[in-house]
Amino acid sequence: MALEAIFIRDFLKLLFIAWIGAVVFPGSVSATPAKEASWLPEAAAYRLTLFLGNLEPLPWGQVSIAWSEPYRGSKYSVGALDWLDAKSEINVTRLLEAIDQQDRQALFTEATRLIAFRIEEELDRLLIAENPTATRQAVQTGRELYRAFADGVTAADPEAARNVGIAWLDLNSSAGSSGVLGAGAISSDRETMGVAVAVISDYLKQNYLVDDFAPRRRLSALPETAVLNGRTIDVPPSLPPGSDIFDQSPLPRLVLNFEEQGIDEADLPLVAYGDMLFDSAQIFGGPARDLGIACSACHNRSDVNQRLFIPGASHQPGAIDVDGAFFNPIFNDRRDDPIDIPSLRGLRFTGPYGRDGRFASLRDFTRNVVVNEFGGVEPTPFMLDALVAYMLEFDFLPNSMLAHDGRLTDAAPVAARRGEAIFNRPLAGLGERSCASCHVPQSNFLDRQAYDIGSATSPYAGARAGAFDTPTLLGTVYTAPYFHDGSLPSLSAVVDWFDETKSLGLTGTERSDLTAYLETIGAADEPYEAFDDENTAFRLAFSELTTFASTLNTLLPRRDAEHILLLTDTVAADLSADASTMSNLAARPEVYALADRLDEVGAAVRAGEWVAAETSWAAFQRQAASLDQSAF
Amino acid sequence: MVTLLNRRSALILSGASVLALSTPLVAQDRRLRLAFIPQENPEKLLGDIAVVTAWLADEIGVAVEGFVTIDHAAAVEALRNGDADISFMGALPFVLAEAQIGAVPLLSEVYRGAPSYTGRIFVRRDSGIKTLSDLRDRDIAFADPISESGYLYPLAEFERVGLIEGPGAAEAFFGRIFFAGGYQQAMQAMAEGLVEAAGASQYADLLLTPDQQAEVTWIAESDKIPSHVVIARPGLDADIQARFVEAMLTLNQPANRDMLRYLYGPDGYVVSAPGVFDGVRDIARHYGLLR
Repeated sequence: MALEAIFIRDFLKLLFIAWIGAVVFPGSVSATPAKEASWLPEAAAYRLTLFLGNLEPLPWGQVSIAWSEPYRGSKYSVGALDWLDAKSEINVTRLLEAIDQQDRQALFTEATRLIAFRIEEELDRLLIAENPTATRQAVQTGRELYRAFADGVTAADPEAARNVGIAWLDLNSSAGSSGVLGAGAISSDRETMGVAVAVISDYLKQNYLVDDFAPRRRLSALPETAVLNGRTIDVPPSLPPGSDIFDQSPLPRLVLNFEEQGIDEADLPLVAYGDMLFDSAQIFGGPARDLGIACSACHNRSDVNQRLFIPGASHQPGAIDVDGAFFNPIFNDRRDDPIDIPSLRGLRFTGPYGRDGRFASLRDFTRNVVVNEFGGVEPTPFMLDALVAYMLEFDFLPNSMLAHDGRLTDAAPVAARRGEAIFNRPLAGLGERSCASCHVPQSNFLDRQAYDIGSATSPYAGARAGAFDTPTLLGTVYTAPYFHDGSLPSLSAVVDWFDETKSLGLTGTERSDLTAYLETIGAADEPYEAFDDENTAFRLAFSELTTFASTLNTLLPRRDAEHILLLTDTVAADLSADASTMSNLAARPEVYALADRLDEVGAAVRAGEWVAAETSWAAFQRQAASLDQSAF
Repeated sequence: MVTLLNRRSALILSGASVLALSTPLVAQDRRLRLAFIPQENPEKLLGDIAVVTAWLADEIGVAVEGFVTIDHAAAVEALRNGDADISFMGALPFVLAEAQIGAVPLLSEVYRGAPSYTGRIFVRRDSGIKTLSDLRDRDIAFADPISESGYLYPLAEFERVGLIEGPGAAEAFFGRIFFAGGYQQAMQAMAEGLVEAAGASQYADLLLTPDQQAEVTWIAESDKIPSHVVIARPGLDADIQARFVEAMLTLNQPANRDMLRYLYGPDGYVVSAPGVFDGVRDIARHYGLLR
């Protein structure tokens, strides 16, 4: 096979992904996540097993699914077990027994050995392959499988990681080439291949093909020899295959009250600093901090992130269990209760906060998110003030079909007008109240009360625990699915649910009209950010990041080292990361240099050299100004 | 429609065929057959072919069939024996196909505003390596021995500045030379410190993580390399060929751009010509791939 073509096509595909990334990923100015290459089915199942195996209580059902079904977003249409059945001679009986018996240590043992055996299987195949193409295919497969262990090896033993990495390079190099159209063929170098295979195989035998692994408090891909050594080794946290923390596309439009009034955020340093914190993973603890998860990861541009998904913490896209085992074990409520991510638009009108209104104060709610849900250190009063100041600027999306008093304007469709009448009509099924009794049109379609409408499953007999805040209906066209758990996929499903559970007795036409009304009041004139060739998502990010940095004009004179360092660490890293999404590739080095200036500010502040910090800050401002036109 | 072809043409997958219902006067023998080179996901390619052939049939007014070949050799063989009229391939396979069967370039793919790209030598920013000569006795990873931007062109830069005398002398200059298996693997080997440099496409750093991208830079860039090309067999009906080219060029229009993702995802196409590939022929001869 002509490999050049394969490389080019793979590359173009990946480049296409990168191009997509330029559109999709950098809307928030949190560190740009890296798009992962696909995982082979069994490697994906193994990584999911490690991740799920660290959750308490361990979701055995999901572990079973991890092996039987393709992971979310997999390019393969079959799960690991079917894949193994077709591609491997390995017997999976003991793995399945471990799952059936819910034996965590046995699960780890069998899953780890399975991956190691699979690598060995590919090493055997490459040694007997009849041509370079088959050899290289086996090398590629083996290397993709080894990826399941790679972060553990790198964390525990960099020298071994290097030796094994070189061995894989040796294998590929010595596999030869079939050339292209009869030209350039190179025969395999069996001797070199044999040496490289021995390097990899020996390492696997010592570390992953072990009969009795030492007990693991945390499941990871750490090599057995490192675990037996007893040294504390931190494996960088990672999300399992199927995770998605990228911003949604199209990117929601952010409506900030001050901005609509023409006030420059740079003139509002407290708000600007809060904006930075909202996009900073640094305010959280691990693993959220290390994974680049910030407030904005769930709340894209003050709205929701409909694609966010983390196996074991999300039951569907756009939902997350923030008090589960993953983010902050000490806050683990041991209940599998992910909630649909709520929009934060119009936040100053939507208190109390939390789906069930458990926090009267936005400040208290915010602290709980930072400290308890995501394991961050106690935020300073300044940080909480800044976050609250920023979030209070979130406005609802303008909607020309809706007047100030919540009545429809002439721009609304006729069906919606009919629906408006139904919405305001007292209904027997609602105790002679109307939809508008709770979703008060002149009060942003909410009443700041909590009701148990029967949307939640009772957690125990006799529980009175199903009350939730009345949600606003503004902007809801863009926040599907609905209800606290995202159980209803559409606004029409919401109408049907009320009609059926409350015996409203609506006709089909009435349900349709009521849905039209909800879709009208929940609409917006410009719901999404509009980008073009030069007004790119990166330009938006660049503008935001330089605005964040402008708070140094306030913080440097105050010699406020703590908050300066939080800012420089966040913004410098994000500038560098977001540069990867630029369409103007030629300007990337200048963005990296700009990030370096901000790092210099931070380094100078750490050293107590305030004059040097101010000099670097001045340099940053000059370079940012000169870069403005090419920042796309 | 499943396309069944004989073993000689080594076609492995079924294809898609669509007769343009809007053009009832189409003669059955006036049909266009497209040979696609396999990519990573054959299932997706089959779906893509169905979409593309349906669209092309509608645009051109003749029946259009598409099928997937085992490799370039099979595609060229299909062009040679008339089982295929059109194929899609890289610049190097094209110049070889041109020499072997007289294949004709029709269209060049456009990426990031150009129908060409380059190869670069990448290093880590903190490596202290500033010039190609700094790589003497250092390890380097290339993508593949027959990759234009991932080996042939970048290595030629070392020749250009007099560091090596020819392709066969490369091993004497470097420490070790690896062929990593692709751009991403070569770049990853460099970024992780397994080697000091990588030879890969100019865009290959985009295949690294955002953090890694900030840590690498490039120190040399090759001549321009023509991007992928749409080629025709010699003797293809001139009218059908012209209509095909005209239809493909309409993909540059905003209304049709969605269709590009079914065709390996370029940004568009420009008309190609044999002269565009002079540099590739020179390189191919220099490396002994073309007489």
